[in-house]
Amino acid sequence: MRGHDRDDVRLIVSTPEGDTHHAFTELPWLLDPGDLLVVNESATLPASLPATSRLGEIRLNLSTRFTDDLWLAEPRWSPSRPGPLPLIMNETLQIGEARAVLLQQYPGIPRLWFVRFDTPASILMAKRGEPIHYSYAPAYPMSDYQTLFSRFPGSVEMPSAARPITPHVRDTLRERGIGIVGVILHTGVSSLEIEDNTVEHQTLYPEVFKVPEATANAVNRTHARGGSVIAVGTTVVRALETAWTPKGVRACSGATGLYIHPGTSVHVIDGLLTGLHDPITSHLAMLSAIAGLARVKRAYTEAIRNRYLWHEFGDSHLLWRQTAN
Amino acid sequence: MKGVALVTGAGRGLGRILAAFLAGQGHDLVITSRTLTELQDVARSLESTGVKVVAIPGDIRNPVHRTSLLQETRAIRGLSLLVNNASDLGEIPRPELASASLQRFRVTLETNLVAPIALIQEALPQLEQTRGLVVNISSDASQGGYKRWGIYGSSKAALDLASKTLAAELKPRHISVVSVDPGDMRTGMHQDAFPDEDISDRPLPEVTLPFWAWLVSQDPEQIIGMRYQAQGTLWEIPA
Repeated sequence: MRGHDRDDVRLIVSTPEGDTHHAFTELPWLLDPGDLLVVNESATLPASLPATSRLGEIRLNLSTRFTDDLWLAEPRWSPSRPGPLPLIMNETLQIGEARAVLLQQYPGIPRLWFVRFDTPASILMAKRGEPIHYSYAPAYPMSDYQTLFSRFPGSVEMPSAARPITPHVRDTLRERGIGIVGVILHTGVSSLEIEDNTVEHQTLYPEVFKVPEATANAVNRTHARGGSVIAVGTTVVRALETAWTPKGVRACSGATGLYIHPGTSVHVIDGLLTGLHDPITSHLAMLSAIAGLARVKRAYTEAIRNRYLWHEFGDSHLLWRQTAN
Repeated sequence: MKGVALVTGAGRGLGRILAAFLAGQGHDLVITSRTLTELQDVARSLESTGVKVVAIPGDIRNPVHRTSLLQETRAIRGLSLLVNNASDLGEIPRPELASASLQRFRVTLETNLVAPIALIQEALPQLEQTRGLVVNISSDASQGGYKRWGIYGSSKAALDLASKTLAAELKPRHISVVSVDPGDMRTGMHQDAFPDEDISDRPLPEVTLPFWAWLVSQDPEQIIGMRYQAQGTLWEIPA
């Protein structure tokens, strides 16, 4: 983690003309009055559970909630050591006193299982859960995995793009006439391990989302007045693009399996504020859909050369679209 | 405790994997199909799940058979999920509508349209008590107008309209009806539809499991009258 405060991070800004370097606190002056930031209001759950299996002590990382006793989940050897584990259908895991049955593997993503609990998963998380993390080091406290906008619990990994937005940055944005509105998209486990190297073949599981009517209206108003809509995080892009129609964004909720890659069109967003992440297939595919692969590569090279910090607690990246609206 | 589900056409393909998935989640099941050996095989494979599974072979066009299915669901705890999955493709190879056998067409309509509605009619008292969900399995052929798909397609188009109509009519009684297009899958029926084609590029019916997990987790009253594509990118809850 960099600095003392969350906004004490760097910001690389990529436009078709080139990349520039800034302090994150400059963000309000890099946008225009009338622009709109859309944030993800989903809060992070302590979704990593210790489990005992036939194979010994393992981790069960919850990914996607269907009901409180039916989840999609990823069994791992440990936080830092992924599966797939040699588990079989109808095998039982023990989580404290509770039992979890592995029902079926997810079609196309064998490391994910449909898991049925005999105790509500919310209770298990409250008792034994910790934030999902992927390193040998212990997880940070739960509060480190929430952003200023986290209101609705449901994500298993922090929608981290808004992490550097402090109350000070938020208030400055508002004073400058830049709006902030929310969507909800509950994130599942990230694809740290690539399933398929062909970008179009990546299998993505659906995520629960909601674009409220007020947010849809704010996005459409912003565009009607010539302002820019900036998604804070790739989750927001997924939600907004799902809610897109040729007449604009509509209020919409449910589950979205939309996969944004260079072969698809991005209609709603004019810019994306995001972290710097490993170029895993689905993340890179979305960035390339927004700005083109060449520009993404250029920005990443520039960020590496300037020693930007990677991952969800690292530095920030504002990526403007290929062509202005 | 999970509810009681009735799955028709459960001997193979989509019906079989859906029945197994529901059993895994703890639903008690009544399953039916015309082929006894297949149905027995499915029932045996579900013994380890610990739920109650009643398997009754028969043809859903037969009113006596329908009644016996619903007697079984009532005897457990009352039906809360009816999946009208059993479907008849019609003549093989698929004929043009202009020259199709009308007698054979009537069999398809009986199986794909009349029998599902008959099951719903007879199940109403149970579904009302459980505030249940009816899922009618549709097809993109219902909207396509593709050549040689007129028999199956028109039966499914009619079923789609029946679903929407029933959804409106049954809403005051807190019964939800939805229609689901599962998409192309590598099943026996799909092979029948394309007898000379290699269909190994189509996904197995398991590809629809995420959708079923999502659907049966919804409050049925929030999705009344919806038509879903199980392999689509958006499963919407209407405002």
